[in-house]
Amino acid sequence: MKITVRAFARFREVVGDVTALDLPEGSGLPALLAALASRSDESRDLLVDEQGTIREHIIFMVNRKRVSRSALDSIILAEGDEVAIYPPVAGG
Amino acid sequence: MLTEREIHRYSRQIAFIGEEGQERLKAAHVVLAGAGGLGCPAATYLAVAGVGRLTIIDSDKVEMTNLNRQILHWEQDIGRNKTVSAREKLGAMNPDLFIEDVCEVITGQNASALIGRAALIIDALDNFPARYALNLAALEHGIPCIHGAVSGYDGHITTVIPGETACLQCIFPDPPGGSEFPIIGTTAGIIGLMQAHEAIKFLTGGGTLLKNRLLIWDGRDSSVTFLDLERDPVCRACGECTQGAGSERGEP
Repeated sequence: MKITVRAFARFREVVGDVTALDLPEGSGLPALLAALASRSDESRDLLVDEQGTIREHIIFMVNRKRVSRSALDSIILAEGDEVAIYPPVAGG
Repeated sequence: MLTEREIHRYSRQIAFIGEEGQERLKAAHVVLAGAGGLGCPAATYLAVAGVGRLTIIDSDKVEMTNLNRQILHWEQDIGRNKTVSAREKLGAMNPDLFIEDVCEVITGQNASALIGRAALIIDALDNFPARYALNLAALEHGIPCIHGAVSGYDGHITTVIPGETACLQCIFPDPPGGSEFPIIGTTAGIIGLMQAHEAIKFLTGGGTLLKNRLLIWDGRDSSVTFLDLERDPVCRACGECTQGAGSERGEP
């Protein structure tokens, strides 16, 4: 199934603007994040920490609805879903 | 009550917001947390719009590397307190403006006293520990806060109304890392200006505020995306189970 990834801020520089990913039917959000993390060392560093845990501060949206941290592991994706990833900026 | 001089000075915007709107600006006390990349453009436009009272909080001194974006600070100000530099420039732009400058780091211990009874807070800070402390104080006092942040080509802004919208801790439960960030001056200018714009709308009652919406600015292609927000019922700062529990989270 095709999943569209919309990357923002620093993550957009690493994975590009809009990326379509082909995942097996029934894949969850963790599988998509693992696929993105495996694309490059930079991509992995942005998404996960040294222990392999998804970085806490990143905001994830599926079909423009925010996914809470606690729900992240249980989200199952479907054909045509759009996943947006925003690593928030902090400067001023 | 507006003076004749004020009616003339602000005539181009009074034609839009009315004398009542202008009086609201004149009566307003706005706390500006941070006199850097966001704070400089935000303060500039609030000052010339006729906001009556500004409290500017920043503990830093002007450095050479600030000058690509912090437009109230000039070469001659290097080594001086940012609050003093900002007060001088803003006072010259609009002598009717009452400005207090506070050269302090915002912490969980002083945030509540610093914001006092302001009508509005502009979060133009550059780090999340201070932002969390400001958020808690704003929630405690019920003062709306316009949050903005930037890095490189990227920025975001939202308006937090205590008890009504998601608070800063709901939106960003965990702080983004990093201390020194790369920045194009115009990115800070755009988001800082949006903060001033949001403030003017809030104070005059015009337009639609960025309540429960995070505006994400991407300067690479000048695109804007909105993220819908909602309160987190178990938020460590504003969640119902933590109301009145004090500021155990987020103090620097």
